[in-house]
Amino acid sequence: MSTYQWLLFFHVTGAFLLLGGGVVAGALNLAAVGRDRPSEILLLFGLIRIAVGAILLGTLLAFVFGLWLVHEAGYGYGDGWVITAIVLLVLGNALGGIGGRRDDRTAQLAREYAAAGDAPSPELRARVRDPISLALSYGSGLVLVALLAIMIWKPGA
Amino acid sequence: MLAVIRPDSWNLPLFLHVLGAVILFGATATVAIAGFAGLRWKDHAPLLSRLALRTWLLAVVPSWILMRVAAEWILGKEFPDKTPGWVDVGFTVSEGGGILLLVLGAVAWRWARREGTGGAGTAVSWLASIAVLALGVAVFAMSAKP
Repeated sequence: MSTYQWLLFFHVTGAFLLLGGGVVAGALNLAAVGRDRPSEILLLFGLIRIAVGAILLGTLLAFVFGLWLVHEAGYGYGDGWVITAIVLLVLGNALGGIGGRRDDRTAQLAREYAAAGDAPSPELRARVRDPISLALSYGSGLVLVALLAIMIWKPGA
Repeated sequence: MLAVIRPDSWNLPLFLHVLGAVILFGATATVAIAGFAGLRWKDHAPLLSRLALRTWLLAVVPSWILMRVAAEWILGKEFPDKTPGWVDVGFTVSEGGGILLLVLGAVAWRWARREGTGGAGTAVSWLASIAVLALGVAVFAMSAKP
């Protein structure tokens, strides 16, 4: 296999880990939104950590091998679609990171309620369904779908 | 190497194919995670068994259909006559994987029906893991095109 084929494989693998990890996080988050018991919410938020590991590894692979591919395939680092893709990658991860930190605080609250009898709490319910956290997390997912579209259409290339 | 350009008419089916594939990858991984978590945290197994079944029904099946239909769409444009070997690998994985995913759905349904008890949880975990690995093979064939 050529260098280009290997680079494309690692770049696409990174994209699958990044976007696939986002799907896992979204599915677990959606499941948590429908729950009331603190221990269940804590478990589902805890499982999202597996997805976060995939997202971080995927971001690193997609970014490093993507930049390498730009050079190998004869594109320019100043091309509009390359810059847009980098901006979307940073934006998607930033939105997901901010949403994730809010979810960490919600998980901490769930841990406290779970230890104190595991009874449903209106405060925890409101935090799990917090529209800002949900908008950040799902907004991050939409940005990553837009990034995928940019990578395929390569407008201006 | 010169920049790799494909006709514009290939972009939409390729986007839908890749989008379906990444959702399928993530959704199948979610089923595997729910399965293994259900084996570890028995008191939450009823919740996790329902999560596995819902994810299979609402994400795995639709994304497999999207991935497969879009694959046929782009194949008709890119290789109207004869398909190369790497495409055949993709077909083998998607069709064999489709049967595997049907079995996974049946086992996930049984696990959820039994409220997360019995041996179905083990089967869900490993079948979903095998499906994720098979998708990894397809990703290699589709991206590197060896």
